[in-house]
Amino acid sequence: MAETVSSSSDCWDVPEVYKHHEQQKICVSRPKYREGRKAKAVKVYTINLESRYLMVQGVPAIGVMAELIQLCALYGAVEEYRPLDEYPAEEFTEVYLIKFQKLTSARAAKRHMDEKSFYGGVLHVCYVPEYETVEDTRHKLQDRRRYVIRTVQNKARENKQQEGAYKEPTTSDTTTTSEGTIARQGKTSNSDHTLVTSNTSHFLGFPLLPLPPQEHYFCGHKNQHRNIPTEDKMGTLHNAITETKHQPEERSTSRQISSDTDKSSGRRLTPNQASAMRFVPRNTNLENRKRRMEEAAEHSLTDVSGKNEPLIGPQLPEPPKVDMEDESLNTTVSLIRNTMKQAGSVCDLRPVEKKMKPRRRI
Amino acid sequence: MWRKGSCEGSDRFEYLQTLVTEFQDTDSEEAKEQVLANLANFAYDPKNMEHLRQLQVPDLFLDMLTEDNENFVEFGMGGLCNLSMDPECRDIILQSNGISLVINCLSSQREETVLSAVTTLMNLTTPLSRPEITDPGVLQCMLRFSLSQSPRLRNLAAVFLQDCCTEEQVAQAEQQMQGQQTAVGIPLPKD
Repeated sequence: MAETVSSSSDCWDVPEVYKHHEQQKICVSRPKYREGRKAKAVKVYTINLESRYLMVQGVPAIGVMAELIQLCALYGAVEEYRPLDEYPAEEFTEVYLIKFQKLTSARAAKRHMDEKSFYGGVLHVCYVPEYETVEDTRHKLQDRRRYVIRTVQNKARENKQQEGAYKEPTTSDTTTTSEGTIARQGKTSNSDHTLVTSNTSHFLGFPLLPLPPQEHYFCGHKNQHRNIPTEDKMGTLHNAITETKHQPEERSTSRQISSDTDKSSGRRLTPNQASAMRFVPRNTNLENRKRRMEEAAEHSLTDVSGKNEPLIGPQLPEPPKVDMEDESLNTTVSLIRNTMKQAGSVCDLRPVEKKMKPRRRI
Repeated sequence: MWRKGSCEGSDRFEYLQTLVTEFQDTDSEEAKEQVLANLANFAYDPKNMEHLRQLQVPDLFLDMLTEDNENFVEFGMGGLCNLSMDPECRDIILQSNGISLVINCLSSQREETVLSAVTTLMNLTTPLSRPEITDPGVLQCMLRFSLSQSPRLRNLAAVFLQDCCTEEQVAQAEQQMQGQQTAVGIPLPKD
């Protein structure tokens, strides 16, 4: 009985307008946190609404069928297509039925083509599951079930791997894990529930990091909250370095917080750097300069080629100090600078001696 | 931003938790509908299944099936249709005696609700649950659906009759239809 009915419902029937094609009213009363990127109606999407059959309305009736099919083919193989001349269409537009080989292609095509302009018209693309055969519907449901099962299993495996990596970063293959790790995984997955539900208190267990720049804030926070040494998609353990990497970035963007810590730790800042950060009273500036001069004097007394030359006249201006914003980098910089100075001073002495000789001759 | 990467997991959970909380706390019918539709759509993505299970969303959807508001029923049924694709969610629905609630939805006036119910029943079919799902009343209902004007309903009912039960069962149900009829799947009168 069902067979006879289904055989009459192929896609060459005279189409009807179905209610689920009507565009529903867009919902405008959503609170901010539930707002999507696009304004949408309140509607639930199920596999029953999806199909590898698409209907494209609003195609300008100017003979652009080939172009339309070419556009569709960008998203996957098109198995069949035809104009739906019988379908009610707006003036000077045509309606097309397109049957993709795969549902995923139809989904991509719908997402990219719907409400896009095409030769001066605006396309309206929707699924038309009513053109499916019984076999199409069966396959669609089977594929969907398979996909869901596969994805859920993959995710479970991924979670296990992550938990495994958290405990023991070297074990990456779950199939070869020993009994011990399996037992541990079981334990962690048991505690997973409590871990997630009580995550507000979980946050407080960590020492507070200095605020990273806003756009990185959420991601950094999350990484730190979940499991620290996770791999990203490129397979690198980037979390291990985010902390140190964020700090210089943060200094350059949000100076206000860091400037205080810089001063308290007695780190030198060049005057224009300081003024760029925030207003500093003139007195403080003068004091800072005085201190810098003293320090520079100390350096020059101890450093410069170790000679106790008497200081006559005003000092040459110090080469501008470069603050690398990092203790070890600063140490390296000063080491290199001193070495360069020593090398420079040695080179300086000889030419002077050589130059003196010709003068004597004259 | 929380759509990509591995660090989005807990964020998504919190978001879904916020939705569930809003659904429970709000008195606004409209907000409830929106949140319910949101949750049902999140159930479409298999990545959310675990979170939704933790938040007991399967039971939330089942509760909606007995509501008077047709939108609640439609969205709840849609959510169950999406969730039941996952074997673990399927088992939860079965444990909560979801079958009879879903069968009741076959009598809805809304096509989407009925379609979701048929698909859900197919998803819920396991060796254990098969006797309840292939009840003669349900089979008769599917036989009527297979004569429906709507190709989508016709096709789904055909798949159900071919995949979820034996030919003998169908033949038996056809015979019974000559005699007594059941009311399952006959739309309730409009009020």
